[in-house]
Amino acid sequence: MNAAVPWRWPALLDARAVALLLGALLLLWYTGQRVEIGRMLALSGEAVLAEAGLAERSQVADGLGTTLGQLVPIQLSSRREVSRIAGFDPAHLSPFAHIETVETRVSELDPETLRREDRIVRTAWLVEPFGYLAHVAAKMLETLEIALWGTLIAVLIGLPLALFGARNITPHPALRAGSRATSAFLRAVPELIAALFLVIAYGFGPIAGVLALGLHSAGFLGKFYADDIEDADPRPQQALAAMGVGRLTVWRSTILPQVLPQHIACTLYTFDRNVRMGAVIGLVGAGGIGQELKGRFDMYEYGHVGTILIAIFLIILTLDLVASRARRAWR
Amino acid sequence: MIDIGIAGLGVRHAGGDAALADVTLHLPAGQFCAVLGASGAGKSTLLRAAAALVDASEGRILYDGRAADRALPRRIGLIPQDFGLCGRASVAQNVMAVADIASWRRFTGLYPHPDRDRAARLLAGLGLDETHLGRRADSLSGGQQQRVAVARALVHRPAIILADEPVASLDPATSEATLALLRDEARSLGATVLCSLHQPALARQFADRIVMLDAGRVVFDGTPAALDGHAAPPRVRVVAR
Repeated sequence: MNAAVPWRWPALLDARAVALLLGALLLLWYTGQRVEIGRMLALSGEAVLAEAGLAERSQVADGLGTTLGQLVPIQLSSRREVSRIAGFDPAHLSPFAHIETVETRVSELDPETLRREDRIVRTAWLVEPFGYLAHVAAKMLETLEIALWGTLIAVLIGLPLALFGARNITPHPALRAGSRATSAFLRAVPELIAALFLVIAYGFGPIAGVLALGLHSAGFLGKFYADDIEDADPRPQQALAAMGVGRLTVWRSTILPQVLPQHIACTLYTFDRNVRMGAVIGLVGAGGIGQELKGRFDMYEYGHVGTILIAIFLIILTLDLVASRARRAWR
Repeated sequence: MIDIGIAGLGVRHAGGDAALADVTLHLPAGQFCAVLGASGAGKSTLLRAAAALVDASEGRILYDGRAADRALPRRIGLIPQDFGLCGRASVAQNVMAVADIASWRRFTGLYPHPDRDRAARLLAGLGLDETHLGRRADSLSGGQQQRVAVARALVHRPAIILADEPVASLDPATSEATLALLRDEARSLGATVLCSLHQPALARQFADRIVMLDAGRVVFDGTPAALDGHAAPPRVRVVAR
């Protein structure tokens, strides 16, 4: 009835797979030594023990504790001396703002009597409870604008690079090699370094930021678009090619509709990445929130730094929600 | 009007096995030739070779006495066995991909009216209607997709029609209607048709000539009437039983 069927079933875990696994483990062990993974675990473990009160002290816990502790309370309000605000009009204050008058006792030497006399000096301060938040929001908007234009430039450069760089639609293998090399070069130059050079060329401000992000992520998109195009289902392409349809039409008619969701996901990720990198390249003066972050960090104003970090986090979180909605809509 | 001369054609699979061996056929311009045979008999390979998609290891195919050139593909209408449609593109986009129109029109979807009319007539003749135009090909049933592939293969008025089991996903009535449209279009275009089929009855009904393949070789070549007296080769008999 149930005679054994003498079939040989293909093995999933064969000698080759085991050898590969062992090789990978050896590689990880060797490289782990070089990047001090063991010490990282020891120090982190010590920090956890110190927090739990089981160890005396820990270098990591102390170091993180002092700096991170200073990030809170985060800075929301701004306070400016009224006399330093050009064209200040107390009748038209922004909502929630109020003027605070501070009296300070100043002792001065009276030149006539040659006596020390105490005098009360009144200074008026404009206090805006959410003033710093508004400032960060404005800077964040600038970063978003830089990221948006950087991404647009990346798409405009990356798409032609991909069309020449994809094996199945490139007009010539040499163009494919050239295009792939260009993409790799653009990716190989980090935004931060590109921004340094561009700041020298275009001066401080958003131009350098837009170009630095655009060029780097063009290399990024050039590669990913091309990989998507090469992985597209070849059957419709063959059918059209057999009927003498040109490469550009093959791309437009059967490849683009297929890869559009991947292209959109890549582009949205690039925008997400450009927002984050936009905050970093601000460090070298390429505009946006990074410039503010660097300034506050250098002045040890960690409360302000805390506000900025939270703002960046919230923006990234929002972008993620928007992106996942967009991806669902385009599926 | 192109006549196709296949002489001593041999094609090998990647593994080295012969997919076709010593196939010699002369298809006069305008002939409707049906190719019958069991799965794996070499029907698809013969059609792919006729479309210049596979390289011959022996023999050659001449079109009007000349070897395949760069101009040939534009004169071919191909209906692949797997349809070869882009699932994420609309029916309109799929059909118009092959039409003889300027590239910018394909990019914008602003197709010229004569081409719209031709495509619409073909689709309507195949039992599809206006509501299908904007639908994605992968939202259609298998039979509907197959008919879109048929319309696409005819829209640019080809001189050679290569149909690989063009009615495999269709019910008997739709199969007849589709083959009738294919035959009538081919007649009005003067196109030579090479059409593989699984149903001998349909081949008898529509073809001028029937070729039967078995294991890559031609085992029958004649008119539908001549097929009746012909003893089917062993493999075809097994399938029929």
